[in-house]
Amino acid sequence: MRLGKTLIPRKARWVALSMSLILTVVGLTAVPGTRAAQKVIAIGITLPLTGADAEDAELIKDGAVLAIEEANAKGGVAGYKIDTIILDSGTATAGQYDPAQAATNTKKLVANIGVVANIGPQMSGEGKAMSAILSEADMATITPSSTNPDITNPEFKDKYRPNGKPVYFRTVTTDAFQGPNMANYYAETLKVHSVYVLDDSGAYGVGIANSFQKRAEEKGVKVLGRDQLNPKEADYTTILTKIKGLNPDALYYGGVEQAGTKLAKQAYDVIPKMIKGGGDGVYSSSLLKGAGFPAVEGWYSTIASPHLNESAELQGWVNRFAKRFGKQPGDYSITAYDAALVVLDAIKRAAAAGKVDRHTVRNAIQNSRLKTLQGTVSFDENGDIKDRTVSVFQILHNPKFPDDDIIHQYKYIGVAPQN
Amino acid sequence: MTLHDVVLQQIINGLSLGAMYSLLALGFTMVYGIIELINFAHFNIFMVGSFIAMFALQVLGLHGQSRLLTGWPLVGALSLGFASTMLASGFLGVAIERIALRPMRNVRGTAAMITTIGVSYILFNIILLTMGAGAQNYPNPMPQVSWHLGGAVLRLREVLLWSVSLVLMGVLHTFVQRTKMGKAMRATAQDQEAARMMGIEVDQIVMLTFFIGSALAGAAGLIFGLYYNNTSFLIGYTAGLRAFTAAVLGGIGNIVGAMMGGLIIGLIEALGGQFLQVRWTDVIIFSILIGVLALRPTGLLGLSTPKKS
Repeated sequence: MRLGKTLIPRKARWVALSMSLILTVVGLTAVPGTRAAQKVIAIGITLPLTGADAEDAELIKDGAVLAIEEANAKGGVAGYKIDTIILDSGTATAGQYDPAQAATNTKKLVANIGVVANIGPQMSGEGKAMSAILSEADMATITPSSTNPDITNPEFKDKYRPNGKPVYFRTVTTDAFQGPNMANYYAETLKVHSVYVLDDSGAYGVGIANSFQKRAEEKGVKVLGRDQLNPKEADYTTILTKIKGLNPDALYYGGVEQAGTKLAKQAYDVIPKMIKGGGDGVYSSSLLKGAGFPAVEGWYSTIASPHLNESAELQGWVNRFAKRFGKQPGDYSITAYDAALVVLDAIKRAAAAGKVDRHTVRNAIQNSRLKTLQGTVSFDENGDIKDRTVSVFQILHNPKFPDDDIIHQYKYIGVAPQN
Repeated sequence: MTLHDVVLQQIINGLSLGAMYSLLALGFTMVYGIIELINFAHFNIFMVGSFIAMFALQVLGLHGQSRLLTGWPLVGALSLGFASTMLASGFLGVAIERIALRPMRNVRGTAAMITTIGVSYILFNIILLTMGAGAQNYPNPMPQVSWHLGGAVLRLREVLLWSVSLVLMGVLHTFVQRTKMGKAMRATAQDQEAARMMGIEVDQIVMLTFFIGSALAGAAGLIFGLYYNNTSFLIGYTAGLRAFTAAVLGGIGNIVGAMMGGLIIGLIEALGGQFLQVRWTDVIIFSILIGVLALRPTGLLGLSTPKKS
């Protein structure tokens, strides 16, 4: 006896068949881009929009959204209207970016056939969780801020791009330059002879601290110690007291704002006169807000891109951004805007070549040569940007502007030495 | 700074941490002593307390590092801050007990403990969603007064932290040992049924216990804010876990044990960080805890409380 006959009555089978037909039709129309007349394709944006990184993630999101809105206002790209699918990779349990959530979001985007590329993530920890998934789907992401070099390093190809082709592109350079260039700056410009190095246990923090430490040692700077902060811990006076006892010329912190805020606050009490600095993790408005002046005064930071948002030719763009979002952009709003421009340009070129899907868009991104806000963007064979500028800033209180105004409280010092 | 100075400084740091853990550990140990419940909501009552205190100080016109007070205005502002925070946190604790825990009082098993975890998460997320995830810059009205002991520095806020903790613990100890209410608490801890038969209102005693424990957590929250000049929705987790460890180390249910346990954990944290590395802090603390419990399963002072049937 066949099971189907006994378990499902004939009438029910007809109902089931017609229901599934209806569902299929509904499902097909719900996928953007499949109906020829509409011509909609989507770009994903994955960023930690809740938690400790939220404010800086917002600035990045706004940069990308602005570029896409402007393109749509001009009638879209090559006849396509561009949709954005914005996903949050911050969770309450992590209190900041959450790599597991970033992976979940990526799977969601990959499953949606209408998505041709992604912009993000903000953090390297997210990037490490996302890259392999993107590689399986052959879909590109462009990160405007994550700087850990491992993700694009061909040495770790099996881990981060098992399918071989680069999928992780950047409109910023990596910590292979950010950390070492800052070490150069410490040694050559600040004349630091000894340093203590801390990180925040995250992928980005450990990586940038390692690369800083390596170059510092090569430059003859004595590394008096290296330790790791637990970002959920409240008390850093123990380690700071230990550092005070060792009395180095400077402190270098590789990490983001969750531990950075508490470190800045407590370092002001224990080692107020020591030179203190970090990477782009301490280039942050939530650091300014949480630690406050005078604690943050004098901290050095870098960013992995040229500093542009005060330059004259950019003023028009800065005004557009401020008008649209009611706030000032950060430097990573610019790299995010550039990332979106690169994706849009790739869609245009893919369309001109005859077919727009995630594979053709990825190939087009790889061959980009586009004039953007930060200059001409092009990528090497691993997806890294060819321009390798690292900019140095110092927090100097400017009472004319709000205390958490990232543009005016970080004073641009110059480009970090490259050699 | 010589090594001698650094160690002295670490002892100062460790005692400050320890004083905070002790205040928090008292709440765990008192509730456990009375109704044999591990109250995980305590983690975040502490965290909420630090926010309540921040609002209280802001109502008094103190924002960030904007204004320094000295003399009586400082004493007045801080007393008002402590009083309002301890009252509000105390009532928060009572409300949690009344609404969420009393219905489970006689339920066997882990239901009540799981409920406290749930309450803890509710508090955590309420603060996260209303206040945001970023660290808050805490009001700090205390002038930068400090004393030098060789190369080590003793700051006014450390002295304040120690003295407030000492006074609160002293008051609590006297209350429990010398007053009629305290006697009723001890009686309830020893045998609820017998206490009820002697005319003790057990429900009121449990409420009082939650009130005192939570008020102390609130005080610890304010001290935390003043000490680190900073608070966020996350602070309950690490501090709470260490304080809980302190309570177990000292012998859970034992008030003097909790105070001692807190100080020991604080000192281990500071000196362990100095001589090894701070990344090993948790490994050191929990190894010592397991070591102590393996030799004395009831904790350092655990045996002085009568065993309940």
